[in-house]
Amino acid sequence: MNILETKNLTYTYSQGTPFAHDAITDVSVAVREGEFLGIIGHTGSGKSTLVQHLNGLFRPSSGQVLLNGRDIWENPKAIRSVRFQVGMVFQYPEHQLFEETVAKDIAFGPKNMGLSEEEIAARVQKAAEFAGLPKVLLEKSPFDLSGGEKRRAAIAGVIAMDPQVLILDEPTAGLDPMGRDDLLEQIASYHRERKNTVLLVSHSMEDIAKYSDRVLVMNESRAVMLAPTAEIFSHGRELQQMGLQVPQVTRIFMRLRELGCPVNDSVYTVEQALAEIRRAAGTAPSKSLSAGNGGESRD
Amino acid sequence: MIKDITIGQFFPGNSAVHRLDPRIKFVLTFAAIVFVFVANSAAAIALMTLAVFSVIALTRIPVKLYFKGLKPILVIILITSLLNIFYIRTGNILWSWKFITITDQGLMRSVLIAVRIAVMILISCVLTYTTSPTDLTDAIERLMKPLKVIRVPVHEIAMMMTIALRFVPTLLEETDKITSAQKARGADLESGSLMQRVRAMIPILIPLFVSAFRRAYELAMAMECRCYHGGEGRTRMKQLHMSSRDYVALALGAILFCGVILCNLIPPSL
Repeated sequence: MNILETKNLTYTYSQGTPFAHDAITDVSVAVREGEFLGIIGHTGSGKSTLVQHLNGLFRPSSGQVLLNGRDIWENPKAIRSVRFQVGMVFQYPEHQLFEETVAKDIAFGPKNMGLSEEEIAARVQKAAEFAGLPKVLLEKSPFDLSGGEKRRAAIAGVIAMDPQVLILDEPTAGLDPMGRDDLLEQIASYHRERKNTVLLVSHSMEDIAKYSDRVLVMNESRAVMLAPTAEIFSHGRELQQMGLQVPQVTRIFMRLRELGCPVNDSVYTVEQALAEIRRAAGTAPSKSLSAGNGGESRD
Repeated sequence: MIKDITIGQFFPGNSAVHRLDPRIKFVLTFAAIVFVFVANSAAAIALMTLAVFSVIALTRIPVKLYFKGLKPILVIILITSLLNIFYIRTGNILWSWKFITITDQGLMRSVLIAVRIAVMILISCVLTYTTSPTDLTDAIERLMKPLKVIRVPVHEIAMMMTIALRFVPTLLEETDKITSAQKARGADLESGSLMQRVRAMIPILIPLFVSAFRRAYELAMAMECRCYHGGEGRTRMKQLHMSSRDYVALALGAILFCGVILCNLIPPSL
């Protein structure tokens, strides 16, 4: 079942001025319910504009956005309810914090939904937990938190609305590698537990490869590929032509293949790499088996 | 969206007007505005209007954009010209009802005022549409230089203007972003009473102020790291030079302004 769908979506910036240009052109994609969809593309490829259409922040110049099969602009007055169903975490979401305490800030979304006090309190607790935000921080001012904590607080503010679809636009930008892995792990476990749909916009191939079921590739304002992750990264050369990199491990395996090693190069996570080395080593004579084991232990 | 406001915006281009020395553009704009008010015969106003539209055509920026810049001022134009219709009671009475009298002179006068304001706005639009903010402040700094003698901190003023102008688009963009983020959390900015709407602005204003201060702090730090210490002994990377084009523009301007004075002698004067 497709939860979100776009049909021939086009958006033109600054229509009627010399600056007019298409940010997205004729994009028709379908997002399946419950999937973890990665969206990659070069800077300016239109990925941010695309996702902002999905919760009705931008109104398409032409084309449609369907949520659960219904055009979200069918009734423009009800667009707020779409925004509660499709939660959106922007780049550097910590810049949106404004309340006196973290708890109040997380409660901003649920409050706008018109929920009861008890429901709001329960959601704030739950969202903070999902975002990995320690309880002691809830009564602090959001401006006293560290960078990473601020970001978690802001993400919790969106999760608290309990959206059917959660969109994250570069959620790890500017975080250190540890913070990045932590945050993505948290989002992945939220996805597993709530079984909702998650859209992750990123240009880190490693992150996309690790978590996505399927990947959408945007290039020069068009959606050029939408396929399961393994399939996407087997198009390494095309991705490189678009200025995108395949994950590092994939690059190693592509090179190995070029050098004549009998390995499969549609490998895109370290775990898969390990399995592939084992497989290749298993079929090879015992000498290279020990070499394969050596590589494994270093990993 | 806020971005749709065109007044004061710069539209990069390569037309003859774009390439003029910003100082010349500034001086000519200022003089033209003065002469819009010096012109007080129908012929003179017509001449000014014609001249402004020729310059607009020279900029190669769609006329539509100029009218868009005029839009926010429309209400002011309407009110001033309406007031003039009723205020002026000299001349032949065309229509009167109780205390309201409309005379032919009043009517002429109000049209004149409307045209004057509109032309004045169009002239300033030509300047801002074709001159980048940095060029504009450069020009102001150069033109104000003589004031240094009476200890006006000309460089500092120009620097503040440059920074302020530089951050207008940045802050607009930031406002847009924060607005989107709060809208995504269901902030309702479009409905409710005035009080409710003002309160709905809080989630946008607070983050905006926080980020403005953060930016100011970062910029000050960056400037200090590069040993910025004001205008003392500072040289310019880009020197402004007058070219033959600029002299031609000055001459054309002078001819136009003489023409306006001559046209003022042609009746009917207003």
